[in-house]
Amino acid sequence: MTRAWRLAWLPFLLGAGPAFAHSPVPGLEGFYIGMLHPFSTPAQALLMVGMGLLASGYASERERYHFAAFPVATILGLILGSSSADLDPAMFATAFAVCALAALAPGRVHLLAVALVALGGFLIGAASIPDAGPLRDRLFTMSGSLVGANLGLLYLFGIILVLKQRFTWDWVGIALRVAAAWVGAISLLMLALGLAGPAVA
Amino acid sequence: MTHRLALALLGITLAYFSSAFPGLAHTGEGYGGGFVAGFTHPILGWDHVAAMVAVGLWGAFLGAPAIWILPVVFPLVMAFGAVAGILGIPIPAIETGIALSAVVLGLMIVFAVRPPIWVAAVIVGAFAIFHGYAHGTELPATVNAFAYAVGFVISTGLLHLIGIAFGLLVRWPAGRTAVRGAGGVIALAGVAFLTGVA
Repeated sequence: MTRAWRLAWLPFLLGAGPAFAHSPVPGLEGFYIGMLHPFSTPAQALLMVGMGLLASGYASERERYHFAAFPVATILGLILGSSSADLDPAMFATAFAVCALAALAPGRVHLLAVALVALGGFLIGAASIPDAGPLRDRLFTMSGSLVGANLGLLYLFGIILVLKQRFTWDWVGIALRVAAAWVGAISLLMLALGLAGPAVA
Repeated sequence: MTHRLALALLGITLAYFSSAFPGLAHTGEGYGGGFVAGFTHPILGWDHVAAMVAVGLWGAFLGAPAIWILPVVFPLVMAFGAVAGILGIPIPAIETGIALSAVVLGLMIVFAVRPPIWVAAVIVGAFAIFHGYAHGTELPATVNAFAYAVGFVISTGLLHLIGIAFGLLVRWPAGRTAVRGAGGVIALAGVAFLTGVA
């Protein structure tokens, strides 16, 4: 099959409508909802993107610390968090700190970077606790969030790594730093809007 | 190969047509309206445009690492200015500061001033506060705040990019003259903003 014909399948995949099939395992749909949850609000999405940009700035032998700290912190957040807590201000503030580090000192201050990724993972976990309901459903949703957050970080990291490896120009690194600065600026603005009150935000 | 590509394109087009969903048009509010409002805010203010382009121009003129440090520092510090504006923290002479940024940055380019990178970053960062403050205070109440923030940060970055792209002409003698001339135009525009002529 030629590349062109392979591309012809793409619109079918992109144009797919929702499938209204039943869930093979009762409650499993909560798992999928949970998987998307780490990217479902601006605060979480900005934090995830910021952590991806930060983690990808380190040499490969140091990246493992981020990927070790993140899931552990996410699990802790899922255990210790509360569904009623408003974590958006903390997530925006952490996203700003993460992005500022990624923009101004990528690949440096490694311990701080690991600590920030751990804090981010904790907040993502704590923000992923569903409202009260059957324990089984809540566990499905929280498991989905855990998997979604970790896969999301892994994919973000992987995409940036592929970009850096395929395009070895200096401009790629600079563009990533500028992108981190932009995401950080947006995070700080959202933090201010949140603190200014619902009338503004 | 061309024939196969044409067939594939035809297939893609037909598939898109056959998988079309109803278009639920927006009203100018929400995410779309917020993004457009934020994106156009820096572009529609000539004082903002002049200063943003000047940041990119000066960065390109100074070369590495200023070419990327200035566009990285600017949005981060600008956000602090916007925070002050949103929270209502008073900062005097905002419009004067914005006009002055065009004058100062334009003159830096005209006279090919090459300060240490930290001095350049401080100058650019100081002016970023004024620009951010204006964006923060002029945030429309009806639009989506997140989309507005995304729009105006991206727009600001793209204006820097225009300045950088033009500034890369400094590699050639004629380009260097053109860049310094552009700095002069920006400085003059800044004077016009400052005196109320424009």
